[in-house]
Amino acid sequence: MTAMAPVENVVAPAIQRSGRDTLFLFHAMATSCELRIETDDTALSERVAVAVEAETRRIEQKFSRYRPDSIISKINAAAGSAISVDTETAMLLDFAAQCYALSDGLFDITSGVLRHIWRFDGSDRIPDKAEVAAILPLIGWRKAIWQRPFLTLQAGMEIDFGGLAKEYAVDRALAVAAQITKLPALVNFGGDLCVSGPRSDGTRWKVAIESVERAGAMEGMLELSQGALATSGDARRFLLKDGVRYGHILSPKNGWPIENALRSVTVAAATCVEAGMTATMAILQGKHAERFLKREAVQAWCVR
Amino acid sequence: MQLKKRGKVREKLAALSAGLIAATMAAQVEKAEAQSYDTQYYQSLFSGKNDDFGPGVAYSQIDAALLVYSEKGGRITAIEPTLDLAVHGSKGELLNFELIADAVSGATPNGAVKADILQTFVTPVKTPGTSATVTSASGGATIIHLPGQAAIRQYTVAAGLLPVDKGFKDHRGGFNFGYSQPVGWLTQLGFGAGYSLETDYSALTANVHAAQNFNSNNTTVSLSLNAEHDTSTPYGGVPTALTVMDGTWKAGKSKTKNQFGLVVGLTQAVTRNWLMQLNYAYDNQNGYQNDPYRILSVVDNTTGEPLKYIYESRPEKRTTQSVFWDNKIDIGPTLTDLSLRYFKDSWGITSKTAEFSERVDLSSRFYVEPSVRLYQQTAANFFHYYLTNAAALPTYASSDIRLGKFTSVTYGAKVGYALSGRTEVYLRGGYYSQTGSGHPADAVGQLKGQDLFSGSKSLFAFAGYTWNFH
Repeated sequence: MTAMAPVENVVAPAIQRSGRDTLFLFHAMATSCELRIETDDTALSERVAVAVEAETRRIEQKFSRYRPDSIISKINAAAGSAISVDTETAMLLDFAAQCYALSDGLFDITSGVLRHIWRFDGSDRIPDKAEVAAILPLIGWRKAIWQRPFLTLQAGMEIDFGGLAKEYAVDRALAVAAQITKLPALVNFGGDLCVSGPRSDGTRWKVAIESVERAGAMEGMLELSQGALATSGDARRFLLKDGVRYGHILSPKNGWPIENALRSVTVAAATCVEAGMTATMAILQGKHAERFLKREAVQAWCVR
Repeated sequence: MQLKKRGKVREKLAALSAGLIAATMAAQVEKAEAQSYDTQYYQSLFSGKNDDFGPGVAYSQIDAALLVYSEKGGRITAIEPTLDLAVHGSKGELLNFELIADAVSGATPNGAVKADILQTFVTPVKTPGTSATVTSASGGATIIHLPGQAAIRQYTVAAGLLPVDKGFKDHRGGFNFGYSQPVGWLTQLGFGAGYSLETDYSALTANVHAAQNFNSNNTTVSLSLNAEHDTSTPYGGVPTALTVMDGTWKAGKSKTKNQFGLVVGLTQAVTRNWLMQLNYAYDNQNGYQNDPYRILSVVDNTTGEPLKYIYESRPEKRTTQSVFWDNKIDIGPTLTDLSLRYFKDSWGITSKTAEFSERVDLSSRFYVEPSVRLYQQTAANFFHYYLTNAAALPTYASSDIRLGKFTSVTYGAKVGYALSGRTEVYLRGGYYSQTGSGHPADAVGQLKGQDLFSGSKSLFAFAGYTWNFH
């Protein structure tokens, strides 16, 4: 099943047994997605799997900037006119607006236009200063007019929920699962994960952290009994020129990759959205990332 | 961020994140009500039943505007209110509805040339059986009732002035309707219909159109087929072409014209900031093309003095072709629109149009958009300012300056102000000026001293209000 498969195709998911758990794997949001339920009731797991996959694809389709029918595409194509958004989108916009304020403008959902000039494919293609300067006027959440439910962007501006949608989908997927069963469950979308609570015998879930150096290799093993983990970093998304590594997290203030950024940071928090946002904000702090995490008393694992 | 209190960001973020998930789940549960959490429920998310959590829907729009148009020299004045409604559905459906009304009055050139003497014109009265037994003035003209004859309308034009008929007055009402939606593999398939009615003219239009996007929506190819059926029911009946204008009621009540056309379009997003459109249009018209009120002067070949006034005559068939190239370029706070058009028809007219506008956003709420349009056309091969008695009458002849050689320029400007995120008021004004040579090289007699060009200069202004709604 490809990432773009329509929801109607969600039938009889392939449930596997994995130790004490049933395991359901699917591919969505450009990553591998995993649902683990501590049970041997495959019929129940199947019901949960159908609901989780449908919810994930709904979020993917709704907030994809690549789909012309998504709300994000409609907002970005509005060229200066107001778009009315639904309740869910409004809630995410409110959340993004508050994160913008909390981070003093470092987390900015309008900074995605930078990807037109920055392509993190491991090459040495660095945009020149003029290109970056030319695109800066299109960045800045404060230039958007957000009067719920109406969002007006200046022509040429774009928003995306790239730094938010996957974590949101993880939390929602777990919430959807919890509405069907109270059995212990884990949702893991490409390293951003959340658990419903400890395993039934009170032990923790074991999760591997991927190495930033070698794809597929393990950096370490984390254990958690509640809440969520999210990782932000440039594991495989970077540019390398003249020995300088340009990470994929860009500053909305100057359009350049954050200097002295952490290579990777994994944050533990109550929800995946919180963990992901904290990790992103930490990277945006550049060399002050550790200080930020310490001051905020965040449980985090950093790789420099 | 460094200035914030220790742990404050985490605290706030934790509350916001937990709130986001709880609130979206709660909102959705509310919506879903008694539905159970099975596949059906999730499918309902996509069938539009769960409106708040389905894909977002583009905004619908109402646009109300008033156009005021005024030609220099007391000629045509028009007031036109319009109302436009566009409703977007959740699955790409689009419904359009447009209402137009206008009131036009004033003086319009009747087609005769200027003369160095007083000229008198007679036409049928607008309503047959007008029982004026005494002479009365109406619209700058005089109604004359002669015993044993129908009433006729007579008006005079002083020496050296362009002959205009001041009795011009009409009301028009019309509507257009359109609907389109994605169908099968087509991005959009739609149809439309319209009707407009004046006292002496009606037009019925219909169209079907299809569009297909390619290349991840960067390319759109479209095809539109149009048909139109017009009925002309002139005051005083349908005059016979090239016969002398008089006040009698003509036997023919109405004439029709049919029109079929197609437009092939290509829209291409060249870069992120540059949208290009290329259209080719073909149109085939067949039927009554004459302006039933328009006449030509037949003048003496030596003196240039008017001998008689005859009704104009245009070919029944006309095919037109045009190519239109439009570019929208979006750089920073400005949006540039540059378009070129080339037009050619079977009557011998070719025209070229260039139009340029630049929208500048002065703030997030306020913009100005100055524009300029240049237009140039050659004359139809049957265009004559006048005819002479030296030769037999041609089969086709018209002195309508819209079929003559001229150039025009339009200067305009629009200012818009967003009252809120969803309402905008705008004002658009412009000046249109037609220029042409009114001194043909072969002018005879008194006509050598007259400027025969009857083109107009006009001012127009729009005031409009746009309201976005759901």
